[in-house]
Amino acid sequence: MTFSGVLALTALLLAAAPAPAVAESAPQSFSVGAMPALVLQAMVAPEIASRPGESVGAAVNRVEADAMEQSGNGAVERVDIITPHITDSHELELPYWKAPFYKAVHLPRWKPVMIGGFAVDLSPTKHVVFILLAAVLTMLTLVGAARAHSRDHRERGVPKGFAGGLEAMVLYLREEVVMKNIPHGGARYVPFILTLFFLILFANLLGLIPYGSTATGNISVTATLAIVTFIVVEVAGMRALGAGYLKTIFYWPSDMPIAIKLPMTLIMTPVEIVSKLTKPFALAIRLFANMTAGHIVVLALIGLIFSFASIASAAPLLMAVAIMMLEIFVAFLQAFIFALLSSVFIGQIVESH
Amino acid sequence: MRLPRVTPLSLLLLPLLATAATPALALAQEGGEAARVNLLSPNVGLMFWTLIIFVLLLFVLARFAFPPMLAAVEAREQALLDAIEGAKADRAEAAELLAKHRAEMDNARVEAQRLIADGRAAGDRLRAEMLEQTRVQQQELLDRARRDIEAERDRAIAELRREAVELAIAGASKVMDHNMDDATNRKLIDRFLSSLPTTATPAL
Repeated sequence: MTFSGVLALTALLLAAAPAPAVAESAPQSFSVGAMPALVLQAMVAPEIASRPGESVGAAVNRVEADAMEQSGNGAVERVDIITPHITDSHELELPYWKAPFYKAVHLPRWKPVMIGGFAVDLSPTKHVVFILLAAVLTMLTLVGAARAHSRDHRERGVPKGFAGGLEAMVLYLREEVVMKNIPHGGARYVPFILTLFFLILFANLLGLIPYGSTATGNISVTATLAIVTFIVVEVAGMRALGAGYLKTIFYWPSDMPIAIKLPMTLIMTPVEIVSKLTKPFALAIRLFANMTAGHIVVLALIGLIFSFASIASAAPLLMAVAIMMLEIFVAFLQAFIFALLSSVFIGQIVESH
Repeated sequence: MRLPRVTPLSLLLLPLLATAATPALALAQEGGEAARVNLLSPNVGLMFWTLIIFVLLLFVLARFAFPPMLAAVEAREQALLDAIEGAKADRAEAAELLAKHRAEMDNARVEAQRLIADGRAAGDRLRAEMLEQTRVQQQELLDRARRDIEAERDRAIAELRREAVELAIAGASKVMDHNMDDATNRKLIDRFLSSLPTTATPAL
């Protein structure tokens, strides 16, 4: 992106802002009017950045004029754009061609279901929709790639194109992540680890596209995945160790006199249990915090664009673009780390005897 | 490739974990629409759907995506291994053949040298034989020639002697100028000749 492109985009953002709220907000305050976060995010997307704008001179004039107009208007309206973006809701914002460029769709509300004496609201939320979307995309991508892969194998002996690239990822995860950490019987856990990786990856990436929302930035989603991982880890331990699995809960050193053994067991058993529970807890928090933090940083930088409302807006704009690029990397990295740590935990308990 | 089998113990664990998590959720939902947002409050509905979606996805992928892909990869790996093994076997076979050919060539070379040596020896022998034969023949010829010469000489001496007798008779008859009977003459001459040395001398 060239500098003139940045200027043109800044001018576009300010001039073509859909709601008058932008004009009303004072440049000093950290508020950007009633502009939905999703629309803001859409505007830093590359396709809009590359749209041809006015000449540099015209853009600068426009920015200055807007700044003058805004400073004349004293009304300050503080609107939180970050919280709605990173939290769940019962609304879905779909793209819309008229200002404010989104249309809220209310998801159905169901009556709470009673499970075990607790009322549980099973009505779908935004993050349910997006985790479902991520799962469907994962399924279509992987099953489609697997079909293309098999066909290529039959016809040419080697895969090509996207299926070949996906094969490289699958093989890397299988060989370097699963089999390295679970040398004995690791093949059994390959589908689980791969599913974790690709579902988290797609959910992470869905949060980066305009109108998207990050389901993995929700503690419920990450906690569920972590609990599933925890169960798989413990079941793997039971399968591999049999009765010896109890030793991973109750500390029972065999080469000590009973007088030392008993107090050691009393002290160490809670430690063992805590260490068991810490692993899924860390998994859940790590993924949730990484995804949420990245979005908060991007949104804060986008907010700065409107707070400055001048030529200086170019700086946060560039930084927002850079952070978005970093977020793409983080989306892959966090999915990989979740898969890697799950493999490590399974490997630890399976190889612990 | 199989999914982890569901053990009874894990089935027990699931509701335990679910109920353990629920009080926190109920608490969170009470504050639902309040201004304060708690990012750490879980939503059981979302957890439920996440679990369902994840498990379904795991089953679909474990059935339709990973096995065909990994099977194809394993088939390819196997094909590569087979090709490598085949190449190794071919190379060993080629080395064996080469060694055999080399041994055969060495044998052939030794054989050829032996043949050459034999030929040379035979040639030498033949030449020696022929030389010997030639020399013998030459000697024979020489001997025969010598004998012929001796015979010729003896005959020539005898001839010469007879001629001399004739000449002597003729000369004597002329000198004496009187006719004597032939018998007396011959007796006389013979007496004379026997007085001469009998063996032929080189002076003659």
